[in-house]
Amino acid sequence: MNKKTMTVLIALTVVCSALFLMTSCAHKEAVTEEVTTPPPSGPTEAELQAAREAEERAEQARREEEERMRQEAMVRQEMEDFESVNIYFDFDKSELTAEARAVLVKKADYLKKNSRYAVRIEGNCDERGTNEYNLALGDRRANAAKDFLASLGVSKDRMTTMSYGEERPLDSRSNEEAWAKNRNDQFVLVK
Amino acid sequence: MLKSKLFSIHRICREMRATLWLGLFLVLLFLLPSQAWCQISIEIDRFSIKKFNIAIPDFTNLNVDETYPELSTALPEVVSHDLDLSGYFTPMDKAAFLETADGTLSPDNRSWSAIGADFLLMARYSVIGRNLEVEARLYDVFSGRQIIGRRFLGKVEIYRALMHRIGNEIMYKVIGRNGMFLTKLAFVSTSTGHKEVYISDYDGYNVEQVTFDESIALFPRWSPSGDKITFYSLRNGDWMLFLTNHTSKKVRTLLDRKGLYSGASWAPDGKRLAFTLSQDKPDIFILDLTRETVERVTSHGGINTSATFSPDGKKIAFVSNRSGSPQIYVRTLESGREERLTFQGNYNQSPSWSSLDRIAFSSYEKGRYNIYTMDSNGRNLKKLTEDQGDSEDPCWSPDGRYIVFSSNRRGEYHLYIMNENGQNQRQITFLKGAQTSPSWVAD
Repeated sequence: MNKKTMTVLIALTVVCSALFLMTSCAHKEAVTEEVTTPPPSGPTEAELQAAREAEERAEQARREEEERMRQEAMVRQEMEDFESVNIYFDFDKSELTAEARAVLVKKADYLKKNSRYAVRIEGNCDERGTNEYNLALGDRRANAAKDFLASLGVSKDRMTTMSYGEERPLDSRSNEEAWAKNRNDQFVLVK
Repeated sequence: MLKSKLFSIHRICREMRATLWLGLFLVLLFLLPSQAWCQISIEIDRFSIKKFNIAIPDFTNLNVDETYPELSTALPEVVSHDLDLSGYFTPMDKAAFLETADGTLSPDNRSWSAIGADFLLMARYSVIGRNLEVEARLYDVFSGRQIIGRRFLGKVEIYRALMHRIGNEIMYKVIGRNGMFLTKLAFVSTSTGHKEVYISDYDGYNVEQVTFDESIALFPRWSPSGDKITFYSLRNGDWMLFLTNHTSKKVRTLLDRKGLYSGASWAPDGKRLAFTLSQDKPDIFILDLTRETVERVTSHGGINTSATFSPDGKKIAFVSNRSGSPQIYVRTLESGREERLTFQGNYNQSPSWSSLDRIAFSSYEKGRYNIYTMDSNGRNLKKLTEDQGDSEDPCWSPDGRYIVFSSNRRGEYHLYIMNENGQNQRQITFLKGAQTSPSWVAD
């Protein structure tokens, strides 16, 4: 055997053993895989559909709840707006100002949309004048709003009036600013 | 000039009156009808001449063991305060009194006239058990005559009432008419933080809380007989009119109607009440307590409220804004005729009709309230308060000689009384909070 043939033989041996090692390794891995992984038992198409639907329903409910809360907040806000916005009067007057009329138009819309509510209109006065006269003046102020709302189509059966005269000032100071605030009608929704 | 002349007339008059007490009244009766004397007194009052100086030394304690020494000053203080509030007397400063050599005071007129006293009240007292006995003598210093010499008996714990009787006696003998010292007031006070009804003596003493609603109580009004008080309250959430029996302390609902917007005003006979009810607008209604009927009285204009009966009960004065601002009107109940009484100022309210046929009311002008009086036909208008904060809620004394009202001249609202002509304005309530809406009743 010559030197050339020896070299070829060694190279072949190396390649062969390398190939053997590689194949045996691959075989080993495959065996391991077979042992640890359970055979894939995939869900049926029907099951998948049901899951999707449940998820959709939950999402729908969540959206509805959100919407309901949003609606409720809006209703509350509307109620709050209705009750918190007063109308104001000039000194010793029970005539409605243009501003008061504009506010009452909104209130009439609200009352027409929300027929389950009745409204109590409370007339108030500033501290000037006798309590007795102011009780009467507060009554005139409450009735002025009631009559105007009635003219806008709100049933009189849904409206009651009450005068507190000068007994419930919003601002207890004795100045023009406080007096202007205290000459008002307030609106309370009643179920 | 006029002053001194009138005063001398009065001095003569008083001398005559003293003579009367000596028993010569029959002769005098022919010369000078007693009516004329009264008129002289009224003149003096109206022109605001000098008030009578009265010296009231400490009362002499006759108790053997000298118990109740404090009454020696406490008793004369009540009389002194009464006479000051009457507007006819000036109680003199005790420091000016001249003692005799032995350190006592004697009724000897020279020393009293020297210090300018017109009258001298000397008294002695003793207490046996709970019974107080006061022997009082009133002297006319000018003539040296004794005008009153009387024993007064009462319970020691209510000595103020006993002293008020002495004050009344002095008024009767000197001024010629009954004093108001045993009359009573009802009013609203915010002492507890709530508006509640209180009563007190006319001088603001013996305060008693009547309502405990912790709500809003308004417009207490004595019945003319003084046994009941009506008041208006929000205690049940709605305004209602209540009647409280002063003796039994029982409260009952008098009127519970939607739109009830006022207290009640008693007719002088005590059988009818006027009040304000809003069926469509505030109007005056009359409740007949005997027949238990309610009748609408006014209908004209916008607001009609604050009714007050005439002394004969045939008319009411009230407030109406039918002219555009609140003014005082009068209505004859039988005929239904209505007439406007106030034309001066554009904001006149709270009429009170006196037993002497004058109407007091409050007027808002230049940002202030002042009290005026006028005849029941609107004539003879007089302004009684000025430059003293606000003066409101006038109410006449039962005899029509005084007005109680509320004023904020010293900050918070308190009650004051003054003579019918606006003189002698005196604060009578000093309670915490505000005192307003007084009502005055005879004892």
